[in-house]
Amino acid sequence: MGSSPRPLAPGDVEARLRARFGDDVVAFEEQHGHAVATVTRARYREVVAFLRDEPDLACDYCDFTTGVDLRERGLEVVTHLYSTTHRHNVRLKVLLPPEDPVCPTISDLFPTADWHERETMEMFGIRFEGHPQPVSLLLPEQFEGHPLRKDFVLMTREAKPWPGAVEGEEEEEE
Amino acid sequence: MGLITEQLPLPQPVKFILNWGRRYSLWVMNFGLACCAIELIATSTSKHDFIRLGVIPFAHGPRQADLLVVAGTVTDKMAPALKRVYDQIPDPKYVISFGSCSNCGGPYWDSYSVTKGVDQIIPVDVYVPGCPPRPEALLHGIVRLQEKIAKEDIREKWSGKLTAPAGSR
Repeated sequence: MGSSPRPLAPGDVEARLRARFGDDVVAFEEQHGHAVATVTRARYREVVAFLRDEPDLACDYCDFTTGVDLRERGLEVVTHLYSTTHRHNVRLKVLLPPEDPVCPTISDLFPTADWHERETMEMFGIRFEGHPQPVSLLLPEQFEGHPLRKDFVLMTREAKPWPGAVEGEEEEEE
Repeated sequence: MGLITEQLPLPQPVKFILNWGRRYSLWVMNFGLACCAIELIATSTSKHDFIRLGVIPFAHGPRQADLLVVAGTVTDKMAPALKRVYDQIPDPKYVISFGSCSNCGGPYWDSYSVTKGVDQIIPVDVYVPGCPPRPEALLHGIVRLQEKIAKEDIREKWSGKLTAPAGSR
């Protein structure tokens, strides 16, 4: 097929991922022209390596790795990859069970992910297996807890409740 | 400093002249942390020009400074550095807390990482409200600080008692 200068359509990215990883691509959707794939934790690293090394996909740039707290559904790691040659975006999501939030590291595949994973680690309490330096990046050393988790208690809000609308409640009323 | 350290009360004209000299020579230490720092720097440049009020931008280090302007969001991680800079400034020293963040946490009042008011770490002389305050607001704050300096008992100020940590007073 050879490399093409045109961006791959999200559907084409899906076809290639499904052909290679089958049922390990748990879900797929298109968001704002970006391909968004949910993959299993076991093959997350493989998928990242595949997206990077496959000439058709050539996602050579890791934009970010971050986390999402989905409460009872667990924690999610989100990694955004971009191809500077094809100019297409692929987002990978890995759902982690709340009792065991461990995700394999991709910091050896993309050195950029090193600090992003450290930030995700301290903010969400997600452990990245194989990370070369799993210590806090931004928080002060004596800080306790994972502040971006939904169950993190903000002491000032305990003393004085949030005066405005609570996020999410407005949508339910509509 | 024989005049200051002697136990005799200072004559009123001497007090006036000493305070008059001090209030119009304020070397300012720039502790800019966020967008407020831009307003602080704008106040130092030609349009607003706080040099005409005797505020001299910027001291090359805390040991040359008289006035510390904390402009911006102080985080719990930055707080020890701020305390260290403050401790390095020799007495007599003054602090202006510039902007809502350094006054009380401002829009980050419920944050996990922002210090809710710089006065939890160091004593503050003048608070300038705003988010960020305009340069005119800082000029007004400087004038109020100078009024405060004019009324000071220099002997008490020089003793260091006013700026010592709360526990050692």
